[in-house]
Amino acid sequence: MSIRQPLLISLLLVAASVAHAADRDFEQTVKADPRGSVRVSNVAGKVHVTGWDRSEVEVKARFSGNVERVEVLSDKGRTTIKVILPRSSSRSGEADLEIHVPRQSDLDISAVSADVSTERLLGPQRLTTVSGDVRAEFAKDFEGKTVSGDLRLKGQSEPGDVRVSSVSGDVYLDRGGGDVEVTSVSGDLLLDVSSVTTVRTRTTSGDLSLRGALARDGSVEAETISGDVTVRVKPVAGFQYEATSFSGTIGNCFGRHAENTNAHGPGTRLNGTAGDGRGRVRVKSMSGDVAICDR
Amino acid sequence: MAITNGTDGNKRSVSSLGELSRNVAPPRDLWPSIEAQIATQTAPAEATRERTRLRPTGMQWLALAAVVSALAVGIWVGRSVLPSQGAVQVAQEAPNRRAAEKGPAAAENPAATNVGVPLNANAAPVVDPNSVQAAFVSDPRYTMQRAALIRGLEAQLKTLPPDTQQKVASSLATIRTSITELQDALGKDPANALLQELLVNSYQDEMRVLTAVHEAGGTSGGI
Repeated sequence: MSIRQPLLISLLLVAASVAHAADRDFEQTVKADPRGSVRVSNVAGKVHVTGWDRSEVEVKARFSGNVERVEVLSDKGRTTIKVILPRSSSRSGEADLEIHVPRQSDLDISAVSADVSTERLLGPQRLTTVSGDVRAEFAKDFEGKTVSGDLRLKGQSEPGDVRVSSVSGDVYLDRGGGDVEVTSVSGDLLLDVSSVTTVRTRTTSGDLSLRGALARDGSVEAETISGDVTVRVKPVAGFQYEATSFSGTIGNCFGRHAENTNAHGPGTRLNGTAGDGRGRVRVKSMSGDVAICDR
Repeated sequence: MAITNGTDGNKRSVSSLGELSRNVAPPRDLWPSIEAQIATQTAPAEATRERTRLRPTGMQWLALAAVVSALAVGIWVGRSVLPSQGAVQVAQEAPNRRAAEKGPAAAENPAATNVGVPLNANAAPVVDPNSVQAAFVSDPRYTMQRAALIRGLEAQLKTLPPDTQQKVASSLATIRTSITELQDALGKDPANALLQELLVNSYQDEMRVLTAVHEAGGTSGGI
């Protein structure tokens, strides 16, 4: 065997690997139930989902690195879109997915470091990432979870079930309605709600800001350990409020002074009624400062 | 009515109880034979009773089994089904004793002083046993679940992006610091309901983070 053959094989291998590593495009459209479920999984890159009025799911992808293929399956109202990485590789590939789904679809996205975004959707959404950021528009029911990714969410002020949690990511919620539960450990929470029925929110060290309108008989429970809390909710029918802090200060716009709960140690409490007191606002902190207001 | 009194062999009629003699002596001393009979009857009865005492009968076995079963069911119900007693049990220990014992306790339990990522799965939750004890911390289900999550934590973290690893470690450290601060504050004010509630919620936060990492590690392993 002359030296040419190994050289040729080597060149072919190099060319193959270069071609493999280069960006590749993928496109596929499948029929879908207008109210079916769509499940998407991607490790790295991004996932962008847009709702439309057609009864089909369209997937456009551009992928690179070790991504083997994008798999799209549709069966009995359930569409699955999966970015496949070879098991033996270093799993370093990434894929950017542009997906159109029926507007009323039940959407479930799972990602690792991929950023996830959604828009023009009316069905329930469950979005999970590890370090990827989430940017979503939702109508009613929404569930979002990240470990370190930030979440920027926009609702439509409609009653629904909104549950958001992160470990260190910040959460920005705009026009949340219905029942809202948002938790984080070290992320900051900035929540803007409209006619919200219940809000339960908690951080450990992140700051928490809640503002917006509280529905009649609505309730707010906010809690931090060392983060500062600001609650400014306009009540439809007033609310009873109670703020307690172990070592933080309690400010308010009601012209009242917080009382000491312990004659010989730290601890302050502020309670009272704004308007006719139909709603309820409770705020607790250990060392974080608390501010509470009805305007 | 006439009753015949014939103990002395001379039968005569009596017309009232008062005419009856109060003591009627037996014709012979009956006691020796009674005593002998008692002695012969008592010995086997005692032996039988001893045997009965040592060897339970079928019914006694059943009763014993029923008691053991009831006890087991009671323990199971108490530990698994019924809720913990109160949110937090506050151990009312003297502060000086607490200070004295804090050193050895911390030395025995590295997790108690480590505010970073815990690597010792068998270590007890970060609780100073002399200050406060959240009820569910002693719950075996909680302890087992937490230990399992911590055992897998290091491996799960390695599957996450480096910056996420750091953020998770930092968040866990934040929770640990909060728990320590809450425990210290509760040590000074054991009946403080606010601190008790915040402490319980902080334990829940820690479990939530551990669970999130567990789920995220599984996800990044192959979705």
